[in-house]
Amino acid sequence: MHSLRIADRSPTPCSPRRFRHQVPLHLLQFPQSRLRPRIQVVPLHLLQFPQSRGFDLEFKLADDPKIALQRYGRYLYDALILFCPSVERFGGSIDLAAIIDFFDSGHDLIIAADSNASDLIREVGNECGVEFDEDPLAVVIDHISYAVSETEGDHTLIASDDLIKSDVILGSKRIVAPILFRGIGHSLNPANNWYVLKVLSASPSAYSANPKSKLSTPPTLIGSAISLVSIVQARNNARILITGSLSMFNNRFFRSGVQKAGSQTKHEKSGNEQFLTEISKWVFHERGHLKAVNVKHHKVGETDEPALYRINDELEYSVEIYEWSGTSWEPYVANDVQVQFYMMSPYVLKTMSHDKKGLFSTSFKVPDVYGVFQFKVEYQKLGYTSLSLSKQIPVRPYKHNEYERFIPAAYPYYGAAFSMMAGFFIFSFVHLYSK
Amino acid sequence: MGRTSSKEDAGALFHSLRSAYAATPVNLKIIDLYVGFAIFTALIQVVYMAIVGSFPFNSFLSGVLSCFGTAVLAVCLRIQVNKENKEFKDLPPERAFADFVLCNLVLHLVIMNFLG
Repeated sequence: MHSLRIADRSPTPCSPRRFRHQVPLHLLQFPQSRLRPRIQVVPLHLLQFPQSRGFDLEFKLADDPKIALQRYGRYLYDALILFCPSVERFGGSIDLAAIIDFFDSGHDLIIAADSNASDLIREVGNECGVEFDEDPLAVVIDHISYAVSETEGDHTLIASDDLIKSDVILGSKRIVAPILFRGIGHSLNPANNWYVLKVLSASPSAYSANPKSKLSTPPTLIGSAISLVSIVQARNNARILITGSLSMFNNRFFRSGVQKAGSQTKHEKSGNEQFLTEISKWVFHERGHLKAVNVKHHKVGETDEPALYRINDELEYSVEIYEWSGTSWEPYVANDVQVQFYMMSPYVLKTMSHDKKGLFSTSFKVPDVYGVFQFKVEYQKLGYTSLSLSKQIPVRPYKHNEYERFIPAAYPYYGAAFSMMAGFFIFSFVHLYSK
Repeated sequence: MGRTSSKEDAGALFHSLRSAYAATPVNLKIIDLYVGFAIFTALIQVVYMAIVGSFPFNSFLSGVLSCFGTAVLAVCLRIQVNKENKEFKDLPPERAFADFVLCNLVLHLVIMNFLG
């Protein structure tokens, strides 16, 4: 169980095997428990594109008694997709603790809940940092931003385009069409601000309530606090996608057009496919996964790494940062990677410049303070894995023979002392040989 | 007796000092010149330190000490060589000069060490 958190040495260890054959386990729900007879939700498209991206998918029913995440202490899969919102108990050896261990050990997770989400799925969500609405019959309703359709009139099918602004999470191409959503909403615990993020939020006019009964008290989940799709990037760089709608993933929603109530534009195709493709790329580490290798530092003009520096030395620091592109490590390009020269507080903080091949470097002068410093790179950018590198290096003061031999400010004193000596010499001659 | 003003008194005092001084022997005047040179150099250093600051303080002390020490030793020599001094009537001036040289050697040894 290898935590990918860094100690004081080098950068994120990544085994290449993991990123070549991602094997997500897809847990489907047995269709019987659906309340309304409807065409079975078969997320065909989602199943196809991971396979075309080089993943090996395995499908199992949620109550299959033979399913297991690990065998003999090793995990069988790299990621887990739970498309079984109303499963009460998993079959085989999977339970809540097993799922928690799975993502604690750095593996990814996609969870889809829906309007009859079981307690188990709600608990999994709680462990990930989101809270689904407690009322089991509540769904997200929006009377202003709903999707215009002929059949559904209770405004539970909403069209949302309130997306997080991040190219690394959602891809560089803008998602133009709104995204269709029908299901339950969740809210995020504000203590996890950095780790849990809302990717798709509901509009300010949404609320979470039972569409069939009259509202007696104001609903607890309202407005933009409702998150429809959230992501979690944990400190060990495991990524989790949580959504409250399983129907978001189905073919019908992928192919249908969408028109948001109140706007005139009718989009031919909803944004669901593009959105889910791009975000699944992020979840499976095809984007935004960084590794830092080859930390090097040396004095300007030399090439090998000294064991310690002296104050007021000029030194150069460099590190190589790469980003996983799904198939290979590409050089990372950014202008905001900084290195600190740190001893209780950063004495030097410099932004590193890069040659476009992923080598980030900078040079600076060691401050006039001696002690044991660290070269620290703490890089946390939204949507990217966090880099936390630190390398310890002592800094010594001047040796007794490294000071300036003659201090220019003291030249008058030197002159005075020598002139006194000369004066004494001349005077003694004059005194002896004068009458 | 209050008919002479203080300015005339000062002038009279100054003139009498000058004439008395002109009567001193030449070798004593040479020693006086030497002492004046040392004190002047010390004053230059103090003014320099007041302007620039006392950064290499040891160098400042060493320079100033060399000037004052030289002045003090020269004054001692003058006292011992002056024939009008009753206390040193029996001291041969060569002995005084030898003491002067030895003390100056020690002084300059200390100065060079402390100069930094």
